[in-house]
Amino acid sequence: MHRTRTLTFLAATTLAVGATTVDATAQDLLVSAARIVLAPDTELAPGQLLVRDGRVAYVGDEIPAEARQNARKVDYGDATITPGFVLAQATLGQDGDLAEAAFAFTPDLLAAEAFDPWHEDLEELPRHGVTSLALSPSPRNVAGGIAALAKPGSNADGDGEGRIAERELHLQLSVARAARDQERAPTSLIGALDMLRTVFTDARQGVEGGPELAILRQVLDGSRRLFAHADSYTELAGLLELAREFGFEPVIVGGEEAEKVLPLLVAQKVGVVLGTLSPEMRIAQLRLPRTLAEAGVPFCFGGDPEQLRMSAVLAVRYGLDRDIALQALTRSPALLLGQEATVGSLRRGCAADFNVWSGHPLDLDSSHLATWVDGRLLAGSGPGGR
Amino acid sequence: MRRIHWHLPVLFPLLILAAPAGAQEPEPPQPPANERTGQRSGGGEAGAEAPQNRRDGRRRGGRRGARRAPPVVIQAAWVHPVSGSAIENGVVVIRGERVVAVGKQGEVEVPEGATVRDFPTGHVYPGLIDAETDAFTDRATQSATLDPGMAIADDLQLRHDRDDELAAAGITTAYVSAPTGKGAIVRPLASGFELWEGKEQAAVQLRMTRGPVATHPLERQQQLDAGLKIFEGLDKYEKAKADYTKALDKYDEEFAEYLAYHEKNKGKKPAGDEPAATPPAGATPPAVGLPGREGRRGRRGERPPRGGGTQAGEELEIALEQLVALLLESEAAPPQDPPPAPPPKQDPEKGGAQGQAADGKSAAKKDEKKESGPPKRPSYPKPFKEDPAKEALLDVLGGELPLRVEAHRPDELRAALRLQQDKDVPVLVLEQAYGVAPLVNELAGTGVAVVLTEVLPGSMPERYEEFDPCELPKALHGAGVPFAIATGRARRAPLLPLMAAAAVGKGLDRDAALRAITLTPAEILGIQADTGSLTAGKLADLVVFDRPLFSSDSRVLLVLGKGSTQYEVN
Repeated sequence: MHRTRTLTFLAATTLAVGATTVDATAQDLLVSAARIVLAPDTELAPGQLLVRDGRVAYVGDEIPAEARQNARKVDYGDATITPGFVLAQATLGQDGDLAEAAFAFTPDLLAAEAFDPWHEDLEELPRHGVTSLALSPSPRNVAGGIAALAKPGSNADGDGEGRIAERELHLQLSVARAARDQERAPTSLIGALDMLRTVFTDARQGVEGGPELAILRQVLDGSRRLFAHADSYTELAGLLELAREFGFEPVIVGGEEAEKVLPLLVAQKVGVVLGTLSPEMRIAQLRLPRTLAEAGVPFCFGGDPEQLRMSAVLAVRYGLDRDIALQALTRSPALLLGQEATVGSLRRGCAADFNVWSGHPLDLDSSHLATWVDGRLLAGSGPGGR
Repeated sequence: MRRIHWHLPVLFPLLILAAPAGAQEPEPPQPPANERTGQRSGGGEAGAEAPQNRRDGRRRGGRRGARRAPPVVIQAAWVHPVSGSAIENGVVVIRGERVVAVGKQGEVEVPEGATVRDFPTGHVYPGLIDAETDAFTDRATQSATLDPGMAIADDLQLRHDRDDELAAAGITTAYVSAPTGKGAIVRPLASGFELWEGKEQAAVQLRMTRGPVATHPLERQQQLDAGLKIFEGLDKYEKAKADYTKALDKYDEEFAEYLAYHEKNKGKKPAGDEPAATPPAGATPPAVGLPGREGRRGRRGERPPRGGGTQAGEELEIALEQLVALLLESEAAPPQDPPPAPPPKQDPEKGGAQGQAADGKSAAKKDEKKESGPPKRPSYPKPFKEDPAKEALLDVLGGELPLRVEAHRPDELRAALRLQQDKDVPVLVLEQAYGVAPLVNELAGTGVAVVLTEVLPGSMPERYEEFDPCELPKALHGAGVPFAIATGRARRAPLLPLMAAAAVGKGLDRDAALRAITLTPAEILGIQADTGSLTAGKLADLVVFDRPLFSSDSRVLLVLGKGSTQYEVN
């Protein structure tokens, strides 16, 4: 008893010292709010979470009484808490370092190696509700390399504004215009598709080829996901034909004209990471999220992190159901990245990444109150404005 | 001006049919009695009849006044009049083009034979007013540098670039703007638009910014100073114009005297020479463009009304006058007088007829007897060329037209305020004003209004990163500065309610946000007597949403403009 009290006292003192020290792991947090969206179709109203060591340890009624007592109370009153936004494709302004301009085909390069933990954009992410992102090679290479999962917030030693949470995610390909406009091969769409067909054929046939082909073999046997940039109809059709031929299920990034290949997307179980939605787009593009949702194509919002919320709001305005829109900011991108166990929802075991709003996040008359990543407050304020 | 050419063939038949001068626009023909289509969304023309006649086949043929039209009653879960607090289970009664009553169901009398439209979960708002849009214009107008005399209204058309979304989004009135020229107030219709009568030239636009490009403050200062120069030379122009008017009056008087003298002395022909049958070289008739001197006395407060029926009537009279003059020209000497002539030697008969033709009115007005010797034939004053640009600026200085200045950064906005103070501009509206935050207190109490655009998260381009338009409404509201939230672009029409919502998200009071897209823009545009709120007597401009309009997924169910359906969901 005394020990618990002493420990609690020590923990409280440690916390009282200030936010500069990385000590969030010291004490549990009991987060409560009028409404907590844990995952699509799972809401608690009112809701409570117990955060321990930067993860969600218990939810709602499962929270043991003792933990409840000893935890630091973070009570957001009337607010709504949702999982943090997951951005499935980003270059974080480091575009130059994330593509090898001399060679178009570099599937084995790691984006994680270009990650700058002090990049100023990392601070901005929590302000816009983004709690994790896939740092991806640039779409300027036909095969850019392997993406990594990055999160804002300092690392274990307290350094930097961000860290790499997962070093290797999916392989990033591109047949978009950016990949063809460089001053090296390929310079055309058919050239790009031919390049990919050649290497995939070699991989399938077991040709000796070093790390590049090894990665393609992983794609072919299903142990590595594949994202591919494609926007126009011809790019999409060419890519999907390749996917059908070699039997993999890509995730399309961009997909501006995806409505034209909708039956193929459904048949081949393709996912889509959309770009930023803006009011100046064609109506078909603004209605694309709704079209994809109705067709059962998994998709998520992407593009500029500062415009994520607005993209979702626009999609809702043009017909998308708001719950699916929220899902497309959280759980869907996590699923597409293969990271649903750790990000994108607030289930037990997931990282304690959440956003706090005064109302529904997709209503612009709700204000964004706070963002927590790994159980630490990174943007906004604690309850009562502290 | 060009008008003289077509007046003849057009007005001649009118003369014969004796169309009354100043006739109002005739009521449009009603559809035939046996037509049974339900929705009529042809726009404002159908105002005299009820918008929905699906309930019964009653269709009244022929023209009926608004009072006889079957009333329409809109019932909904919530009615938000803006001029008062929200009414639960509210009802709006409409007759013809106007709202007759607004209140709670059960407390407001529902007239006999009314068409009732019930929206059990709906929310009724006044028709939204977009205080700045580029709808119905094209890129050329938006990028041209027009002088203040050019009216944008002259080139408005439905351009199928999402212009048709305004009506479907619940916007029943909009001010069409461009960086330069004179903007116009329009009513978006189901297909197309109609100009707001009397407000086809609603404000003078001035651009005092170069936009989000890299510029140095001192460089901007130079450009702003250059911009202020457009107001120079107005005094001289005004004086020259006043002088001309005075000279014309003097000429009228003197010529009347001259005529009167000769009328009196008809019989006593002075040692006569024949009248000059041909005008001496150098005679110039007055600028045909002046539509009647009588209509232009003075500068302020007496100008002839723009647009609408009265101008047509006046032009009719003038054209009549000129027509008759031309007809008589073949017999008489040319009606206008040459410059300083030799002593009056005309045949008094011809002089008389001539005088009546050319100066019928003024002669009738100024009939004075002069006792002294034969008065000298007065000379016609040198013609004065009107400058539409300067006329527009004089209208601004006279308070008849607002000056709308587009300025973004704080120093540009300060220059606009300085302009207002230096030149004493009565009505100033700041457009876009992204950087107005530091000036909010200066604006308080000046009567300057602000039209905000880009009120959405993340809307600012790179160079304007430090400005956040979503936070401005709260600051302006706190200081009591009137402001409207506008889309700026036709493509954003469906987002107007969301822009107001974004302002609420940054702390603006909800009622103030609703006001900023309804009554306040009406006030800024000067049309608050007719629209902007759901009030008895105002035009029946309203929009029904399926839920509170600030929700991202709110859908428009019905839009009425002047009582006619402009959009509805089937």
